[in-house]
Amino acid sequence: MPVVQTLKRLLALCLLLANGGPSDYACASEPKRAAPAAQVFLETHTAMGTIFSIYLYAPTEREAHTVAQAAFDEVDRVEELLSNYRPSSELSRINREAALGPVVTDRETFAFVATSIGWSARTNGAFDITVGRLMKAWGFFRANGHVPSAAELAEAGRQMGWQKVILNSQERSVRFAADNVELDPGGIGKGYVVDRMVEMLRVEHVTSALISAGSSTIYAIGAPPGKRGWKVQIPDPEDHQRPISTVVLRDTSLSTSACTEKYFVLDGHRYCHIMNPHTLKPVEDMVQTTAIHPSATASDALSASLFVLGPEASLHLLKGMPEASALLLAGHGRVEHCTSVRWSDPEGGDVCHRTATKRNRKVEP
Amino acid sequence: MNRRDFLGGASASVLASGMLPLLAQDREKNVSPDDTFSVGVIGPGSRGQELIRQLLRIRGVRIAAVCDIYEPRFAEVDQLAGSPVPRYKDYRHMLERKDLDAIVVATPLYLHAEHVNAALNSGRAVYGEKSMGFTPEDSLSILRTVSETGKIFQVGHQYRYAPWFQDAVQRVRDLQIGKVTQIVAYWNRNADWRRPVPEPKDERLINWRLYREYSGGLLTELGSHHIDVANWVLGEQPIDVIGVGSIAVYHDGREVDDNVQVIFGYSEGRRMTFTSMTSNSLMGEQLWIYGTSGSLQLTLEDATFYYEPRPIHAVNPHSEMMQHGVTTGASFRAQGEMPYRGPGTRLATASGDDPTLVACRSFVDCVRGKKQPLADVQIGYAAAIAAACANRSIQSGRKEIIPPAPAAG
Ligand SMILES: NC(=O)c1ccc[n+]([C@@H]2O[C@H](COP(=O)([O-])OP(=O)(O)OC[C@H]3O[C@@H](n4cnc5c(N)ncnc54)[C@H](O)[C@@H]3O)[C@@H](O)[C@H]2O)c1
Repeated sequence: MPVVQTLKRLLALCLLLANGGPSDYACASEPKRAAPAAQVFLETHTAMGTIFSIYLYAPTEREAHTVAQAAFDEVDRVEELLSNYRPSSELSRINREAALGPVVTDRETFAFVATSIGWSARTNGAFDITVGRLMKAWGFFRANGHVPSAAELAEAGRQMGWQKVILNSQERSVRFAADNVELDPGGIGKGYVVDRMVEMLRVEHVTSALISAGSSTIYAIGAPPGKRGWKVQIPDPEDHQRPISTVVLRDTSLSTSACTEKYFVLDGHRYCHIMNPHTLKPVEDMVQTTAIHPSATASDALSASLFVLGPEASLHLLKGMPEASALLLAGHGRVEHCTSVRWSDPEGGDVCHRTATKRNRKVEP
Repeated sequence: MNRRDFLGGASASVLASGMLPLLAQDREKNVSPDDTFSVGVIGPGSRGQELIRQLLRIRGVRIAAVCDIYEPRFAEVDQLAGSPVPRYKDYRHMLERKDLDAIVVATPLYLHAEHVNAALNSGRAVYGEKSMGFTPEDSLSILRTVSETGKIFQVGHQYRYAPWFQDAVQRVRDLQIGKVTQIVAYWNRNADWRRPVPEPKDERLINWRLYREYSGGLLTELGSHHIDVANWVLGEQPIDVIGVGSIAVYHDGREVDDNVQVIFGYSEGRRMTFTSMTSNSLMGEQLWIYGTSGSLQLTLEDATFYYEPRPIHAVNPHSEMMQHGVTTGASFRAQGEMPYRGPGTRLATASGDDPTLVACRSFVDCVRGKKQPLADVQIGYAAAIAAACANRSIQSGRKEIIPPAPAAG
């Protein structure tokens, strides 16, 4: 219960002030946070099938722990809302009932589904929160990959599609226009929870922290003392010795999509877990995409969208998003094309040019 | 806890306890070849024969007499010993012998007190199998006889002698997993617990453990070992117990439960749960000790420590991350969402010898050197009384208070 915990902390602070402070009215005013954070602490938490970590500047380990716990409580709360592994989650309830009729839900869940559907509309369905059925057909949900038959694929195709999710904002309801449609927060949920964590940490007056959701979505609050921001390295998929780029983040987020952790190999062919909803097949021609955006929900959805769209359509999408930047590494298994959009690397120069001539390509829309 | 501490072999506590297996020739160099140690065995059945086998691995030990009421045992013992061993049908006649240094009692539970008390009163040191006594009165009488005769008594709780138990329990007592408040023990099998009976008339003699007149069932036969470990870890015997049991699978005329679930209460609200079933073997035999900062899994083969996640720690400002940043990447993990427990750290305690051999060897050493055994009568009492009271609770359906051992003297 984050609220209860926050209250408890306030109470503890009040008691402290009441006992040691000059006035009995110390509780009436907003407790003040201690002066400049002295040390950096790392705290981790397992949730949503991954590991969340927070690097945090705080005067004491105790204070760092209290604040980080508040953020992790928020992760657990959102997981209980959106996990499709948990039958008890609100998203699971919608998945069970929305084919039977409109399911009225809470504001937060409704807004989350609406945002997700908004990304589908914006990307022409490249991003699709109903892709779970397709991933199941390819055996990704329980980690036993196989190539589905044409009939299985057709079946999965009938059970997915963002247009089959019908929202009514008046009554906050979700309805599915077909049987067996299923919402899967995989491509956007981690970004959403990171935004909630950032909100929580800012409420706790945290001014310098780095949040990582399994390293695929990262958010930087402020900067370490005396620095411009938090450094994040984007790995070179072909050279693990050195990063392809290092960026400095401050009050913004970065998300990466790649096939390096989840895929299966059959007859020498590598099948990626990121699906193209139009072809009903895994994406074949993209290696890694990274997006930077002030909203972690947006950077998460955006990196997934760019992965499916490919360089051309991605450029078009990014044109309409002036606050976003991106780095796309395209190719069949190997990186063949590098595309960067508003990408600023403090090491200077053109990241794609510096990396390798054969991948050279840079566009500034 | 530093990982090297684990891999560095036996801990200082084991070295200090003198239990580290020494080379046989070092240990026995003071034993002259004609310094024979004559043992008489009452009840050379399955366990009694195992003890004979182990005793014969100790220099100077000779099986000088056996007593049993089941004829086929004598030939089995002769076979084990390699020559005919003088046999007795009545233990009193065997105890009249003047050349026996020690007596092993491995008869069915209901006979332990009668046989142990008689052997002690005949002036011999005794190795008595667990559970020490069947009823609370039985255990009390053995306690009194040991104190009155001043003779050496060792109880068959051989895990007290297992190096990995000693090492692990010492680490727990040194607070390496924090404050221990809960112990959960499983002893599960998938077998009917019956032994073949060549002649139907011998059913109750051979399958004595299935009948309440002779046996305390799963609690005394299996549970007493785990209760002893809990007593050891928690440093006392339990105060009370509440339990249930039933015959759920084997409706074959047996009287003892084929599954039991029992909770023992210790001081300060600490608890030990023992559960045993005979119709599923998944959990096997394992005992979990839960502390505020970690857990220990003890089995008949090993000891493994797990530590509670301690998620927060200070970061070195000159670390790789602070200098060069974190690395982003795809993080989609296929793993489930269970809390991360990690692979655990298995104790690498120098071992090798069977705990029963170590226990037998230690017994012989104690008798020869007139020293008090580690698994003494108090240890035997504490486990036996708890097992007996647990069975009372199962029968009465109520919580039972476990009487502490009367003050010595
Ligand atoms: N420490 C351990 O790990 C361990 C393991 C197994 C058994 N045990 C204990 O050993 C004891 C014996 O168990 P077991 O499995 O060997 O049983 P068992 O039935 O195989 O052996 C008991 C023997 O006692 C004999 N006996 C019965 N009545 C007798 C009498 N009046 N006089 C002389 N002999 C008599 C029987 O004929 C039999 O040979 C039990 O208390 C059991 O709990 C301990």
